Amino acid sequence: MDIGTTGVAARTVEGVKVYGAGDLEVRALDRINVSFDAGRFTAIMGPSGSGKSTLLHCIAGLDELTSGDAYIGEQRLGALSEKQLTLLRRQKVGFIFQSFNLIPTLDARENITLPLDIAGDDVDKEWFDTVVATMGLGDRLTHRPNELSGGQQQRVAAARALVSRPEIVFADEPSGNLDSKATDELLSFMRRAADEFGQTIVMVTHDPMAAAFADKVVFLADGICIDEMAAPTADSILDHMKSMGG
Amino acid sequence: MLKMSWKGVLAHKVRLGLTGLAIVLGVAFISGSFVFTDRMSSAFDDLFAGSTDGIDLVIQEGGSLGFTAGKVPEEILDQVLAVEGVSQAIPTVQGFAQMIDKDGEPIGGSGPPTFGFSIDAADFETTMTSFVEGRLPESGEAMIDVFTARANGFEVGDSVDVIFTTGVETLEIVGTIGFGDADNMLGATVVALDLSDAQRLMGYQGAYASISVVADPGADLDQLRSALQQAVADPDVEVVLAADELAEQLEQVDTVLGFFNTFLVAIGAIALFVAAFLISNTFRIIVSQRTRELALLRAVGATGRQVTVIVVLEAFIVGVIASAIGIGVGVLLAVGIQGGLEAFGISFPSGGLVVKFRTVAFGMGFGVFFTMISAIIPAVRASRVPPVAALRETAVGFSKPLRKRVIAGVAITSVGLVMLFAGLFGSFSKALLVMGIGAGLTFIGVAVIAPFFSRGFGRIFGAPLPRMFGVTGRLAQENAVRKPRRMAATASALMIGVALVSILAVLAASAKTTIKGAVEDEVIAEYQIEARGFADPTSTGVSPALKASLATVPGVEFVSSYRVGPYLEEGGSTTLYLAAVDDVLDKVIRWDVLSGSYADLAPGKVMVDADWAADKGIGVGDTVTIEPREGHPVDFAVAATFSSDLFQGVPIVMSLADFEQYYSLGLEAMVMLKLADGVDAEAIRPALETLVDEYPNVELSNAAEYVAKTAGQVDTFLNILTALLGLAIFIALMGIMNTLALSIFERKREIGLLRAVGMTRRQVRRMIRWEAILIAVFGAVIGLVVGSLLGIAIVYGIGSGLVLTMPLGTLAGYAVFAAIGGFLASLWPSYSGARTDLLEAISFE
Repeated sequence: MDIGTTGVAARTVEGVKVYGAGDLEVRALDRINVSFDAGRFTAIMGPSGSGKSTLLHCIAGLDELTSGDAYIGEQRLGALSEKQLTLLRRQKVGFIFQSFNLIPTLDARENITLPLDIAGDDVDKEWFDTVVATMGLGDRLTHRPNELSGGQQQRVAAARALVSRPEIVFADEPSGNLDSKATDELLSFMRRAADEFGQTIVMVTHDPMAAAFADKVVFLADGICIDEMAAPTADSILDHMKSMGG
Repeated sequence: MLKMSWKGVLAHKVRLGLTGLAIVLGVAFISGSFVFTDRMSSAFDDLFAGSTDGIDLVIQEGGSLGFTAGKVPEEILDQVLAVEGVSQAIPTVQGFAQMIDKDGEPIGGSGPPTFGFSIDAADFETTMTSFVEGRLPESGEAMIDVFTARANGFEVGDSVDVIFTTGVETLEIVGTIGFGDADNMLGATVVALDLSDAQRLMGYQGAYASISVVADPGADLDQLRSALQQAVADPDVEVVLAADELAEQLEQVDTVLGFFNTFLVAIGAIALFVAAFLISNTFRIIVSQRTRELALLRAVGATGRQVTVIVVLEAFIVGVIASAIGIGVGVLLAVGIQGGLEAFGISFPSGGLVVKFRTVAFGMGFGVFFTMISAIIPAVRASRVPPVAALRETAVGFSKPLRKRVIAGVAITSVGLVMLFAGLFGSFSKALLVMGIGAGLTFIGVAVIAPFFSRGFGRIFGAPLPRMFGVTGRLAQENAVRKPRRMAATASALMIGVALVSILAVLAASAKTTIKGAVEDEVIAEYQIEARGFADPTSTGVSPALKASLATVPGVEFVSSYRVGPYLEEGGSTTLYLAAVDDVLDKVIRWDVLSGSYADLAPGKVMVDADWAADKGIGVGDTVTIEPREGHPVDFAVAATFSSDLFQGVPIVMSLADFEQYYSLGLEAMVMLKLADGVDAEAIRPALETLVDEYPNVELSNAAEYVAKTAGQVDTFLNILTALLGLAIFIALMGIMNTLALSIFERKREIGLLRAVGMTRRQVRRMIRWEAILIAVFGAVIGLVVGSLLGIAIVYGIGSGLVLTMPLGTLAGYAVFAAIGGFLASLWPSYSGARTDLLEAISFE
């Protein structure tokens, strides 16, 4: 049986990413094999330089692997042209970045529907309302980004990532610039999205508190996947990191 | 500090490169026109100097205006030869002569003159005329210039038809001549004739154009001059030193070249003025992008003043480098123009291009001045960057409240307008300069106000974009107006060029309507005959012989004509024009004789324009004094006052008999035919054409054709000027490209985000493209509004029957061209924007 169609939303097979050449060569990913389960919220953790952002970029179709394969669903990304990749990101992927997530000239509502508008697709009004309500943004829709708090901006980004019903949402340090209260709010909303909508979410973070919201944590070091932890808590993650560091 | 500035230039070389290119173009235009006009001037120097090399004195009619020669009675030659100290006296005749090629087409005639002169063996010793092959002409024979012979396949022994004032004459070519080492005289076509033929064919019965005198070796020229003047004893004939005559001719040439040069330099200055907007914008953006760097400098102890100096020095470096390149390009441009002219048959005497110190000084001066002046405001702003900005994320915005800005803008515009119109309609020295500064201030003022309209414009004109392209269009619309000042500054550069061409379009359209109206209202004649193409009525025209033969065609009731000649007001120095008419002009055109009678026009009397007379406070019976020849005032009694749109700008009309006495050009500016009642104009036309065809330099046209021809000439002028102003428009479009590229650079992360969430490269390009088009159209629309208003004001200011006409189609066309220009300007920024590195754009520093 092909597990890809039933339970795996994205994966890499022997993924290698090399930057530079010669003496300056850096192997950011070193024959990494990792898979992310559909319908679940997975966190990727690891020290700086462990390759976690590179992994996210390569699997989300923002960057190309040097060798090996990355898949979203059963689609091998290496087989796609630049244009096909763009369309794939538009249709199947949602993004939440650490900062500069929103277009300053568009209001919150326009930012949320941006991927649909770019694609020229109709907005599912009911789903839009649901997502907006879930992210607690009902009264902020006509505000421009500079009129929103950092936490609100990230929730708008999250709503944008969800509104096109992507197969998978990638979040790159989404709470990196937020205080603990806003972090808590944002991740609670993301948790709800996974629980209530069955949304697959892959999040890179170095914050154990944030990772604790996930169903599973994948630990990276030196470009390979060294461990996994199911049903993590902040404490168990911290303990694990200490053991790794020691 | 120079080191810091130098590093700043290097760090921003791409951005400054485009700015520099704008300066290069402007400076190249200016220095190119200097180098070229210097070259023309030296070519004329050679030509004229060579033409009188062996001659010591010239005897001629005094004070001839323009380039037409006067007449010296034949008997003076003997008087001259009798004077002691005269070694040789060579009579010469020169006048209009246009050759016809083997296909029956006239040779030359639009531009360099077509003329003939008498030739003597002595000419090869004493003048620049050089013998090439064959022999001197006798009656019925001619020598022609080498260039014309070669270009038209004429060989010695061939015959050539030549149009003279007296008719067309077939001559046998017996030789060719050159001028120094050049094959022709700066493009002029030349027929050299036997003296008596020249007299007969060019209207010099019993007279010469001049007599060249070679003195005995060692003779005192001043004494000889007095002796000759006494011997001649004719107040109309003067004896001048050849060197003085040469200097005067060169002065005339240099005056014409000077106007030409001033005109080209003005175009170059406009281009640099536009470039200044581009430079200012670039520096402003660079300063705001470098806020943190400049703040760091402040934080480590640089004073605000030092920061200003660093930025100004950067501008200085850019200005010097770009101007130096511009001067080099300008020289190449001049070489190219000379090459082009030579390809068109204008042969230059040998001698290289000269780059005078003045050329370098002007080019460098203009280039550096405009660069530095436009960097000053951004530089002063740079000094206000607080040190703490080094620690902040975002660029610091500087902005004056819009209200203050509008007040300042209106004030600047008002001062500019006052100066513009004072200069345009005032007659004081430096009026042109005042007008130029006024126009500059007007444009600056409008540019200062423009940001006030940016948003509104974007909202209205950008409205279709979201509907057409969804969010891509919406973003283009928003991006265009997100920095109203930047958008306005960028658009204003384009506004200047568009405004100038719009003014011209309004003037041209109004002139065409006016001409059409005048012809429809005032021309009775069915046909007119006039020189083809652009013809100067004081140097070419219709042969009186043709006029006479047309009068014999059955069905032609009246044939009338007028001539045009230059004159000066008494003691004046500006060349004005008068007309001379025969006694039946009122049968072919309708003019209002307001007082007196046309029938009274006779030798010694003139008709004058009624408005002109009113200005001077004169009327019928009064006397007007003019100088048909400089320094030779003549009194005329006013026989009548008239009002005529056709004779607009020609305030004085004299009799044909007087004209023939004062002017040697024996050609009609225009011949008009009135057919007898009941004659079918189309039916008679072939008979008329047959006669006219014998003179290929002229053509027959009916009223509609004449209006179309004149309109075509107006359009040609308009097109030439528009093409020259195209340089300013091109630079403005470069400005759009530059601003856009800098803005894209600022929005790298935003574009990266859009790409990440699924915007295709094609959509990114579309977004940037429409932003550019919006900015360009904004500039075009302000330009059209400003240009139209100024055009209307100028038309009303000129008055004198000018009928205002708005060329709406042309103006709309300019807006479309601007949009296309914006599209072209967006090509590179949109290409590079679409290739924004996604990861770099979204990764967090």
